Amino acid sequence: MKNLIAAISLILVLCLGVYAVVYMQQEIPITYDGRDTDVYALQQDPHDYDLSNPDGVADIIVKENLEKTQAVNNVTAIVFDFRGYDTLGESFVLLIAITGATVILRRARDRWEGGK
Amino acid sequence: MKKKNWKRDDLIVRCLADSYLPIALVLGFYVILHGNISPGGGFQGGVLAASGVLLLYLGYGFRGAATAVNMERMHKLEAVGALAYVFFAMLGIFAGYNFCRNILWNSGNIGDLWSAGTISLMNYSVGFKVLTGVGFLLLLIISLLSTGEDHEHDGTIPTTEHEEGGAAK
Repeated sequence: MKNLIAAISLILVLCLGVYAVVYMQQEIPITYDGRDTDVYALQQDPHDYDLSNPDGVADIIVKENLEKTQAVNNVTAIVFDFRGYDTLGESFVLLIAITGATVILRRARDRWEGGK
Repeated sequence: MKKKNWKRDDLIVRCLADSYLPIALVLGFYVILHGNISPGGGFQGGVLAASGVLLLYLGYGFRGAATAVNMERMHKLEAVGALAYVFFAMLGIFAGYNFCRNILWNSGNIGDLWSAGTISLMNYSVGFKVLTGVGFLLLLIISLLSTGEDHEHDGTIPTTEHEEGGAAK
């Protein structure tokens, strides 16, 4: 019985692998490439950068971000500007975690003051 | 040789802590300051700078860290960092826009240290908050570690006579 289940699952995995190989042969549009992006020209003058033939979504993101926020680091611009509420909640989660640790370890804190 | 003195007599660990503490602090503050123009940011740089507390403990033990860092002040400064973040986010409301609006967005050139307006200000406040918060957490854990059987009753690590800097009276 065990061998039968193992054989069936192996055959299933093999079929899924063949299906994945066939699926990967299709023409899927490239969404995030950015290989041909001229980063220096984009940073020097983001307003006049030519976006008529983008090779992916990367240079569109960088161009729009540079025009809107002037921050070179995209992740920082997203975390502190576009997702500002997210960062606010994240930092308050850290504050609450430290407060909980202080409450649980308050004997250690008393020892710290005594050792001074 | 007594087993309980092995930690304080290690000169190599103390010299390495002396060497690496400024490097860790400089690297952490660099990552915080350049959060808007280089990989990194407030969270990562804060944790890097807070690792200096751990180096201080490794080199000088519980008593050395206790004399160098004020625990209560760090806990209060963390709340100051959180309030600074809320204040910089509410600058948008003061100017008549929505919360988290980047009202200083075109100050400075692209690629400069001061370039992204409130993004860099919020980045600095979050870095300060994480630096003090994680430092406080590490101090709390260290003070729990320092009260085992191998230590004195007042929580200090036993020292020998030739010790300098942070030796128990």
